[in-house]
Amino acid sequence: MGEQSSLTELLDVSAIDLGARAASKEDAVRACGDKLVEIGAVGPAYVEAMLERERTISTYVGEGVAIPHGTLAGKDAVVRDALCYLRFSDPVDWGGEEVTVCVGIAAAGDGHVDVLAALAQVLMDPEQAAALRAAQRPEDVLAALAPREEEEVST
Amino acid sequence: MPSIEGSDVRKLIVACDAGMGSSAMLAGTLRGQLKKQNVTVEHKPVNEIPADADVIVVHEGLADRARGIAPDKPIVGFKVFLGDPAVTKVVNAIKDGGIING
Repeated sequence: MGEQSSLTELLDVSAIDLGARAASKEDAVRACGDKLVEIGAVGPAYVEAMLERERTISTYVGEGVAIPHGTLAGKDAVVRDALCYLRFSDPVDWGGEEVTVCVGIAAAGDGHVDVLAALAQVLMDPEQAAALRAAQRPEDVLAALAPREEEEVST
Repeated sequence: MPSIEGSDVRKLIVACDAGMGSSAMLAGTLRGQLKKQNVTVEHKPVNEIPADADVIVVHEGLADRARGIAPDKPIVGFKVFLGDPAVTKVVNAIKDGGIING
């Protein structure tokens, strides 16, 4: 696996919105896409690719979190690898699941895999997952997603 | 239905459409769980499954496409990205032995 980007390289504070609103899953995916466009990580075509991907298979991963991202074809619209973090004031119905947090992904390479693995680690621990969902400030989000110390030792 | 003995697995592929989101996340998790085993874990778009893959883990919705691309390999479908029992079974078979059917 290639070089890994750090969490702060991938997730800029400007890409964190803790008061997002969405009336539907489609709205929420579009909001993630718009955020990625706004920070210059993707071109507008990527938003359609994200909606397309969501229609094929849900990106709900558990613990109230979904990770919307584009399709293989949509990769052409990726300018640089980046994440966005949207927390919805009211949970969004996601095909029967309730989603509070979306981590939107734009990636042309594999540099973001460690960050996703760290997110998975958080979500498999209900207490850490609850802390992430409850994060009220961008720095709390970054702290909740930061690699754990024992993982740093083992890599 | 192709199958493989878990202890013979050297390369596990997590496949999805773009290979950028959910498969990357699951691959990262499995890499951690299989750290002590002699197994390479990679994530790939489903149409780029490498010829030397021993077992492929893929979301149920893409399993048929994966079977069309790699008909001679065990394809294990899962429903949820974190903690799916089908994936846990694969991990346990690799660690402790056992047949993986797909």
